[in-house]
Amino acid sequence: MPRIITCYKWVKDEADIKVDTSSRQLTLDRVGYKISDYDRNAIEEAVRMQEQHGGSVIAVTVGPPSAKQSLKDALSRGPEEAYFINDPSFAELEPAQTAAILAAVIKGRLEYDLIICGEGSSDLYAQQVGPRLAELLGIPCATYVNKLALEGTRINVERKLDDGIEKISLPLPALVTVLPDINTPRLPGLKQVLAAGKKPVHNIGLKDLGLTCEVTLNTTGILAATMERRRLRFGAGNEDIRKVVDALLKEGVIA
Amino acid sequence: MSGVWVLGERREQTLELLNAGLGLARELGTTVTAFAIQDQGLAKTYIECGADTVYLLGSLAPEQPLEDYVPVIVDVARQKNPDIFLISATPRGKEMAARIAARLGVGLGSECTRLRLDENKSLVMERLMFGGAAVQTVVCLTRPQMATIPPRTFEPAVPLANREGEIIELPAPPAGKVRVLERKPRVQESVDITEARVVVAIGRGVEKQEDIELIQELANVAGGELGCTRPIAEELHWLPENRYLGISGQKIKPDLYIGVGVSGQIQHISGIRDAKVICAINKDENAPIFEAADYGIVGDLYAVVPQLTRELQRVLKK
Ligand SMILES: Cc1cc2nc3c(=O)[nH]c(=O)nc-3n(C[C@H](O)[C@H](O)[C@H](O)COP(=O)(O)OP(=O)(O)OC[C@H]3O[C@@H](n4cnc5c(N)ncnc54)[C@H](O)[C@@H]3O)c2cc1C
Ligand SMILES: Nc1ncnc2c1ncn2[C@@H]1O[C@H](COP(=O)(O)O)[C@@H](O)[C@H]1O
Repeated sequence: MPRIITCYKWVKDEADIKVDTSSRQLTLDRVGYKISDYDRNAIEEAVRMQEQHGGSVIAVTVGPPSAKQSLKDALSRGPEEAYFINDPSFAELEPAQTAAILAAVIKGRLEYDLIICGEGSSDLYAQQVGPRLAELLGIPCATYVNKLALEGTRINVERKLDDGIEKISLPLPALVTVLPDINTPRLPGLKQVLAAGKKPVHNIGLKDLGLTCEVTLNTTGILAATMERRRLRFGAGNEDIRKVVDALLKEGVIA
Repeated sequence: MSGVWVLGERREQTLELLNAGLGLARELGTTVTAFAIQDQGLAKTYIECGADTVYLLGSLAPEQPLEDYVPVIVDVARQKNPDIFLISATPRGKEMAARIAARLGVGLGSECTRLRLDENKSLVMERLMFGGAAVQTVVCLTRPQMATIPPRTFEPAVPLANREGEIIELPAPPAGKVRVLERKPRVQESVDITEARVVVAIGRGVEKQEDIELIQELANVAGGELGCTRPIAEELHWLPENRYLGISGQKIKPDLYIGVGVSGQIQHISGIRDAKVICAINKDENAPIFEAADYGIVGDLYAVVPQLTRELQRVLKK
């Protein structure tokens, strides 16, 4: 019966980001937060596997104390407990630091057979934390997985690569990163949300880790990716469609 | 110090990285080293195209994944201390780069689209974040400075006259824990969406797979190819995966992009940012695609697309 850990990140919702076009500054103070999109697939896959084979599912997240809001959402999706590793300095971690923190927590405290991460986080989309974590734990990993099956003490997975599909087999314990098409995450109902409030959460602080997270990748700037567009609006009437076609002809983009 | 290193999964990607690496090496006054996977002929090509040294990676057993090279590569990197290490951002390349960086305990810039050296000769890398809403500039504080680079970011290096270089064979890696059971190559698509002058992209606003016919007619009249959003390719499988546009898909630079039933989430827009003209059809006047469009048509695609097709037919006399 597999003991599964699933790692998720609480991220700014990029759809709420406003941009000042002239200065290219981002306005981030009024954005909402969400569980990183593909981490919902990671949680779902862990819960499905548990439904099929028994075992346990633990959700783990690293973030600033404000990421506490995420716990109920994450737990309502099925995991039975959560590890919340938080410190005010964990707001803007780079992938190497996140992986080091996760490794430190998992090594000392958790027994596991399988770790499931998302393909990449919605904000950084570095696609690094999963494979880095596997290396730090010294376990095999499979990235870009869209099918996952438990076969005794191994897992067989399908990886979707740019030149085709690769089916591979890994001994447990192992780590996988999953693609969004591996499943459709369930929408938690009221009952699940209420139950989530009662599930255990283990708070772990920086001091408990005995770890200094050195910076290896320094962010020297973040600027909006702007685009000059005309933003002309038309309706669906014949007249309007004709105007659009005329404009496209004038632009010389159709012939 | 041993200069700039490049590792590509395939020939084309290695040549692109070589080109980028040669530029950096010239500025740094150092050498370029490439990895060749199992193929002596490739090793020679890389030298002709500018590499000073090529590490020839030994053959893998059929059930060994490419990622088994990680420990071998880490060993030489530890011995030689490269300044810069560029790896192609194919799925396998991204995994290998992250694992190499973890073993070396160094930083890694993912999917960097621009590279330059600053006044201290540090590598400055630009990459997208927040789904493509922002450009993040990063600098590695550790050595080697590592970056993955998406395929086709740079032009491939070309053969130069009178090139000489050294080929060093590396041992074949021992089997790791992962076993390949089967490889199913992707059926090669004849169409390269990145070459199309006109791309008509379908999104989830298209209700049924049969309805693609309607959009295909529009594409035909406009002289274009069909593209799509990620869910159309990856969840619904209505179009091949190399047709979806965006931060994790294809980046295109056509003259004209027409989005049909595409909401215009930033991850999709990132792939069409360089289109000359963006046109969008969406029934929701608040859809984000209208913010990114030159010509936005607010309306039901099932009414608008046939009209647009007819009108184009009329004016183009097709
Ligand atoms: C890390 C990450 C990477 C991603 N990478 C990519 C990527 O590379 N490419 C990509 O495309 N997506 C990517 N996505 C997904 C992206 O966020 C969006 O979910 C996706 O682009 C939405 O696809 P869509 O527009 O087809 O569907 P939806 O968002 O569901 O939009 C459908 C639209 O159709 C309109 N519509 C419905 N019916 C009609 C009608 N009858 N007539 C006209 N309009 C109609 C609706 O108003 C709506 O705006 C990524 C997401 C993440 C988290
Ligand atoms: N702060 C975090 N806490 C827990 N898991 C994380 C965190 N950041 C990233 N991950 C995991 O690592 C994956 C890849 O993240 P990234 O390398 O940032 O693209 C995510 O999909 C998560 O599964």
